[in-house]
Amino acid sequence: MSEANGDIGAQYYATKLGVYDEMVAKETKVLPHWERFMGSIAKLGSEQLELRRREAQRLLRENGVTYNVYGDTQKLARPWRLDPIPLLISSEEWALIEAGLKQRAELLDLVLRDIYGKQQLLKKGLLPSELVFAHDGFLHPCVGVLPEKQRQLTVYSANLARGHNGRMWVLDDRSQAPSGAGYALENRTVMTRIIPEIFRETQAHRLSGFFKALRKGLAELAPHNKEDPRIVVLTPGSLNETYFEHAYLASYLGFTLVQGDDLTVRDGRVWLKSLDGLQPVDVILRRVDDSFCDPLELRSSSRLGVAGLLEAVRRNNVAIANPLGSSVLENPGLLAFLPRLSRYFLNEELMLPSVATWWCGQRRERDFVLQNLERMVIKPINRTTGNYALFGGQLSSKEKEQLRATIMAKPHCYVAQEQVGFSTVPAFIDHRIEPRFAVLRSFVVATSEGYQVMPGGLTRVARQQDDFIVSNQAGGISKDTWVLADEPDKQVSLWTQLGRDVILSAVTEPLTSRAADNLFWVGRHLERIKASARLMRTLLPKLTEAQELDDPVDGQCLNVLLCAMTQITGTYPGFILSNATVLETPQNELMALAKNSNRAGTLASSIQAFAQTAFSIRDVWSQDTWRCVDNIQRRWQQRVVNNDCDLEQLQKYLDDLITGFVAFIGLTSESMTREAGWLMLDSGRRLEHALALVGLLRATVVQRHELALQNQLLEALLVATDSLSIYRRRYRSFIQLPMVLELLLMDETHPRSLAYQLHQLSAHISDLPRERGKGQLSEEECLILRAYTDLRLVKVSELVKVDDKAGVYSELENLLSAMTELLWQLYDVIAQAYFSHSQVPQLMTPTQPEDDL
Amino acid sequence: MKFRITHSTFYQYSQQVGLCQNEARLQPRDFWRQQCHASRFEINPEPSDFQERSDFFGNRVAYFAIQQTHQRLTVTAISEVTVFPRQIRNELVSLVTWEQVRDQLQSQSQSSVGWATPSSMAGQTQSQSQGQTQQIDVQDELLEAKQYLLDSPMVATSIELANYAQSSFEPGRPLVEVVADLMQRIHTDFTYDPTFTTIATPLSDVLHFRRGVCQDFAHLAIGCLRSFGIAARYVSGYVETLPAPGKQRLVGADASHAWFAVYVPGTGWLEFDPTNNTLPFDQHITLAWGRDYTDVTPLKGIAFGGGQHSLSVSVDVLRLD
Repeated sequence: MSEANGDIGAQYYATKLGVYDEMVAKETKVLPHWERFMGSIAKLGSEQLELRRREAQRLLRENGVTYNVYGDTQKLARPWRLDPIPLLISSEEWALIEAGLKQRAELLDLVLRDIYGKQQLLKKGLLPSELVFAHDGFLHPCVGVLPEKQRQLTVYSANLARGHNGRMWVLDDRSQAPSGAGYALENRTVMTRIIPEIFRETQAHRLSGFFKALRKGLAELAPHNKEDPRIVVLTPGSLNETYFEHAYLASYLGFTLVQGDDLTVRDGRVWLKSLDGLQPVDVILRRVDDSFCDPLELRSSSRLGVAGLLEAVRRNNVAIANPLGSSVLENPGLLAFLPRLSRYFLNEELMLPSVATWWCGQRRERDFVLQNLERMVIKPINRTTGNYALFGGQLSSKEKEQLRATIMAKPHCYVAQEQVGFSTVPAFIDHRIEPRFAVLRSFVVATSEGYQVMPGGLTRVARQQDDFIVSNQAGGISKDTWVLADEPDKQVSLWTQLGRDVILSAVTEPLTSRAADNLFWVGRHLERIKASARLMRTLLPKLTEAQELDDPVDGQCLNVLLCAMTQITGTYPGFILSNATVLETPQNELMALAKNSNRAGTLASSIQAFAQTAFSIRDVWSQDTWRCVDNIQRRWQQRVVNNDCDLEQLQKYLDDLITGFVAFIGLTSESMTREAGWLMLDSGRRLEHALALVGLLRATVVQRHELALQNQLLEALLVATDSLSIYRRRYRSFIQLPMVLELLLMDETHPRSLAYQLHQLSAHISDLPRERGKGQLSEEECLILRAYTDLRLVKVSELVKVDDKAGVYSELENLLSAMTELLWQLYDVIAQAYFSHSQVPQLMTPTQPEDDL
Repeated sequence: MKFRITHSTFYQYSQQVGLCQNEARLQPRDFWRQQCHASRFEINPEPSDFQERSDFFGNRVAYFAIQQTHQRLTVTAISEVTVFPRQIRNELVSLVTWEQVRDQLQSQSQSSVGWATPSSMAGQTQSQSQGQTQQIDVQDELLEAKQYLLDSPMVATSIELANYAQSSFEPGRPLVEVVADLMQRIHTDFTYDPTFTTIATPLSDVLHFRRGVCQDFAHLAIGCLRSFGIAARYVSGYVETLPAPGKQRLVGADASHAWFAVYVPGTGWLEFDPTNNTLPFDQHITLAWGRDYTDVTPLKGIAFGGGQHSLSVSVDVLRLD
């Protein structure tokens, strides 16, 4: 046993402690509630634990758990990091924390209601008006807007840390749109997979009860449709740092994930723009900052909100959690007044104290701050990007002078806080446990039965020792938080215990027009990539053949295919308009087509576009499907984009890429219901497949070639369209143009043919919801019917007549160009009919006042 | 003095607009020197949703939405207003110094007692303020005035503004004199130039180039006053223009106008028009007031679709008696 201890470094751990530690407190002996757990971990040993840690990383990555870092030029989502050692909290201690959080939520709710209601706190001088009015979170138009409700602050979160003396403190309160609950849940899911036996024997409280309360609390907010309210999660979009969580919570809770342009306000109500028309929205779980939520009454430049939203709130037609304006509670200056407000409202002392805070808007406090700058952390009450907190102790005397002047100029805009130390927790770093400073983010939700606290939370530790900054932006590591139960906690299913008739009735989730748009484009991107990858795979062997055999026909064939490559990827000048040297040594350009992600049309950039489009509708994919997307993009990134691979390896990776897409298509066909979503995805695929095929034919066989060259090209064409084996089986003869055209254009039983694509498209289009006049075809139905009929009426024998003057098969060219034209028209019509969010809002410039002199 | 004001805004779009939502602050508010007898909107196409309310600052707001497709929009507000020839003129006002006003505005939070307890993190409290038992009216009025001391979206106090204002703020000078002097200086130092500024021109540019329109001059004065701890607010409205002698009055040739007001504790808000270097009396008709232009924008909206848009405004201030 002692050897095992040494293995994970438990002995060593104790020697590195400086301050209060969660596991050993101030003693040198492990606290009782950690004993059993540490015993199990030690038994597991360092090597095993490292394997489990890696397994956790793999699961998290495959589940798409990411944290986007703003300003990341790579636009790559950062994988979420999870430490395999949770923070353990004993049940006695948790009872205190839980009570403290509930008290704090009640208090903040009262403050919020007062600030946007009667403002007694300001009138009675309990809260200075400058402190409230100078904070950006105070939104004038929201005063008097909150309807009468038991509680306004629906979701609340606080960052907690333990000071040197062993007491828990609140570092800050989160009321705007607290994030992290979804990450906490995902952490838990992964932990129960990597150390299931330890989790079982430790008897930690489960988290599902909290999410059940969240659903209940949100449903109770609905002003209308109380039995079956429509709840949406409003996200700023996939570039937001916590987008993963928005999508994750939406799909876990069964809500619709929307962006501002998915919603519209009409007749003072909020509606969801779906393929089936406008659907009323009753409750919005908001993850967009409040001032961005309504460009009409709040920040007019915002593109993330819904014009008229505040008016809908004012008429009590929609409920928002948290209400618009609630970020006023995130003012750090409030911390200084909370003890007094607690006595005023609740007649109680705060159970969880805040970090000592001095608001500089009052002379005495300001003087104290100015005299003690070196011991303080100075913050503006309004959080702006860039300069947030200044550590007085780290400033030069000149900088301190400047800071004093800045504070003096607008003292009410600054607070100072005591620099606090955090307690440490064991973290598994480089194969052994080491102490790291930790912050616990806790989550609270309001229901009609009062505030409910998540028994657990998101613990974050700094990566480096002695580092207090644990934020994800700074690369911190997260931990699960286990609140120990006296007896085993029963798993509460989110779905089975709810009265189905109360909240859930089996309805088809409406597909937002934005999701429809993205699904369509996922389909288009993937077919475009497949077509380019297949063509590239076809021509790579020819490259070596042409060099080895030195047959001019091989060379000519290669050149035609290279030019086709440029044409179907749209990467001009490429092989077409450049000088001849590009064709003579095509390797560089081919490599660029594979790996240059900054050039539109290349495989790398199309794969990136595919993955990003898929990510922006993360909530529609199953876990398995997402893993597939992740694999496709990650492998290409690792093997091709970030790596120096040669053409031979590239060939292999292209095979893998195509297999990856085939798996994706298989999974979506297996797991998606045949509703609007799938129709959109498959329509996008069919349209792009048709366009790519037509493009390839135009680039290769429309021009008349010498027989030997044509034969080679036809074979390459069949390979590139994955049709060679079917051709052989069907025709059992040499490859000839009429038969190739018949197979690729006309054969409706061949899934790679144009006729097949058009047939499928036509079926999908007639299945899509659309208002139609009686017996009248919609515009898109007309177009696809015309395309399909035109194709069916073609006689292949006509197509292969050569116009001798031009040296082209002109009938074929006419047909193909007409098809291209119709297909593009079809896209425009579909986009207009179904992707209505594309209508761009504009601010009608306010009138410039002009003077009379 | 009784007026009828007709304020029309015409929008024209190059493409169809599917939906637009608007907020209009085009109906004059009532206060001690003004009464609005009647006010109505003529909106074409007719809005399917129309709702009136008053905003945080007590201004009248109309929300309306046009939910059918349209390519032009006309919003006309017609109001009848009586402006009483009254002015705040008591002796106290002309005596109270700017320092006294500044100190009174700061008193609420500054006269506080009590200590923070810096040594421990627990039980720390911010100073308790006094004055809970003082007359509620004055307190409420002061409380309301204090928000006009703070920076607002278009007016942030700065050293530059303070430097410009400095010479008007002689020690011990009555506030009324200070503001009159400041108004006079702005009127003299700055050139009225509608081609120079737009809605988005920052105050620092106005100050640097010494050019602007009524809105800029009002913002400028407000910024100067706030830099010295004086509460000032922005007023939007109209001013009656008289035709040149022997000329016919031109209908619709008027325009909206802006000026500012200063708070004197115990007395109220005194108005000043820096563009015309006058004290608004019975020819200034008030629409709305707020911290700056953003709070009282006469008409703003969000349109979906529409392509390019052009807009024109016509204002007519007609004296009825």
